[in-house]
Amino acid sequence: MNKLVFILFAGTLLAQDARKIVEESQKLHRSRSQQYEGVLEVYDTKGGKNEKRWQYARIGSYGESKSVLRFLAPPLVKGVALLVQNHPDRASDQWMWTPELNRDRRIALQDRSTRFFGTDFSFEDLEERDVDQSDYTLLGEEALNGQACYKIESVAKKSRTTQYSRVVIWVRKDILLPVQFEMFVKSELVKRLIHKRVEKVQNVWSTLELEMNDLKKKTRTVMKTEKLKYDVALPEEQFTLQALRRGE
Amino acid sequence: MSRLALVLLGVLPLWGQNFSQRGFIETRGSFFPQTAPSDSGRAIGDVLLRYEMAYKLTPWLKFNGAIDGRTDTHRQTERQWRVDWQDREMLRPAVSLRRFSLTANKGKWTGEVGKQFIRWGKADILNPLDRFAPRDFLNVVETEYLAVMAGRATWESGGETIDLVWQPRFTPSRSPLLLQRWGGGGALRGDLAQLPPTVRQGRAVLPTGQQWGVRWNHVGRGYEAAGVYYEGHNHLPLLDVRISTFPDFRLELNNYFAKLRMAGGATAIPNRWFTLKAEGGYFSSSTPAADNYFQYVIQAERQSGEWTFVGGYAGEYVTVKRNLLDFAPDRGLTRSFLGRASLQLNPRDTVAFDAALRQNGDGVWVRGEFAHSFDDHWSVRVGGSLIRGRATDFLGQFGRNSHVTFAFRYSF
Repeated sequence: MNKLVFILFAGTLLAQDARKIVEESQKLHRSRSQQYEGVLEVYDTKGGKNEKRWQYARIGSYGESKSVLRFLAPPLVKGVALLVQNHPDRASDQWMWTPELNRDRRIALQDRSTRFFGTDFSFEDLEERDVDQSDYTLLGEEALNGQACYKIESVAKKSRTTQYSRVVIWVRKDILLPVQFEMFVKSELVKRLIHKRVEKVQNVWSTLELEMNDLKKKTRTVMKTEKLKYDVALPEEQFTLQALRRGE
Repeated sequence: MSRLALVLLGVLPLWGQNFSQRGFIETRGSFFPQTAPSDSGRAIGDVLLRYEMAYKLTPWLKFNGAIDGRTDTHRQTERQWRVDWQDREMLRPAVSLRRFSLTANKGKWTGEVGKQFIRWGKADILNPLDRFAPRDFLNVVETEYLAVMAGRATWESGGETIDLVWQPRFTPSRSPLLLQRWGGGGALRGDLAQLPPTVRQGRAVLPTGQQWGVRWNHVGRGYEAAGVYYEGHNHLPLLDVRISTFPDFRLELNNYFAKLRMAGGATAIPNRWFTLKAEGGYFSSSTPAADNYFQYVIQAERQSGEWTFVGGYAGEYVTVKRNLLDFAPDRGLTRSFLGRASLQLNPRDTVAFDAALRQNGDGVWVRGEFAHSFDDHWSVRVGGSLIRGRATDFLGQFGRNSHVTFAFRYSF
């Protein structure tokens, strides 16, 4: 009986630790606002490369933020923009502006596994997730590229829909920054996200290069962040449907 | 170094920061296996150059401009090289100012004055609320929106938006040319399929009055709703038949535009299975030959993996029937099941399908299109439209206009 109580107690502690690590990690890398220019390089199975550039701006606290993403290149998608309003208790509201149609369209991704503009990132992969939306288990500690990491398993709570059965996260112990994610569908490893370049920007440890590998399709997408700035004074009016129309 | 060069060097980075541009040149060929009663041609070639730019004059004031230059092999485009800033003629202008407007923004207010695009609808396959959005229907199944000369003031706060539009100068939709394949017997509702050779297309009679409208939009918790009121003219024409007997017997068809009052609403409700969108409006008119009717569309949209599906029904309920002759593709598409599916095959390739099926089975239109981008600039689209049905049906009457299209585009 005592043994069973100990096991249950230890299990709760480990789970709490894992949750705490994730919560601390999110807190440490939070900002009131953020702005950057990004480059997406999509590599197909034959090694062919397709590149997209965009501008991103976000305001608001984690899980309750508003963001605008606007493509700058290539010319085929230039001007296409996405407005996302995140809510802590429900799915985000999303609108897409297409310059050719001259209108915004409400979009709702019932299936968030949909690829983000043809890349290996799904819309779900780019979502902000509140720490309370998943349960966490500390699987142990493991070195990754010579860096000591916490290895944590994240399973979405039943109230949250997700394409992944579980996600294993490697969080660097020294800076509490996630550096690798492995996504599983049932027991199959389907995607691996590697934070390839990590640097301090304005005193915040930030990932400046991500690589998402689709292990089923054998394709990969590299996402590079440039001109990253935190706590920029961005007006609220820049995150509205009218701002989408104005092209801001 | 001269003073001018120094000034230019100073200004150029600022210009670059505040200036954006995009555009394309597209060449397109449409091939029709069958001739039409009023058109023996089987191929149409088009070239279109579009250039769009925006320049931020100050942090709150922006200039938007766009220009189109085009020509074709089928005399659908004017042969005169003049810059048309109104886009109100029966033919497409060779050079037109597509957009020319100033946008100002201060806090919750946005104002736009000049030639601009105004889209109010929420649905994707038919938009009864788009009263300030005339279209080019020279090809009835491949249309394009036209800008209008207007002033627009928008107030947006939280989830509430109020939009006021005043359009002092009317812009009509461009209807099919009478003596070409989408005109003739084709585009006319009513029984004018066999036109005598002496039928002429007259000039359109454009209304001089102003149009205005107001739209309220509300973004709520898990839904979005809008209400619209419009007072003005319908941008789709009624047809007036004038008969003259001297010096010879002649029928002349003239487009004219009914007065229109429209009140309607729209909603978009995303849920975990699909997004429901509905849009409808009641159209009434004091013009003697115009109908009063309620038009609506209900659609469900779902994204599944790389597929996007949209399916719905467009309906109409006529309360006062007066009209005999018009060109009304919006009404022509009602009492129909409408659908669209598209698939992103990979970052470079997409396929899309559209379909409209009349509920009585009298007409059907199916379109498929494959688009491929070779690189960041070059792309190609290959598509085909199949139209079948009874000659008395809006869709069916274009039964000889099934066609395939190839379009090459260079975007910049």
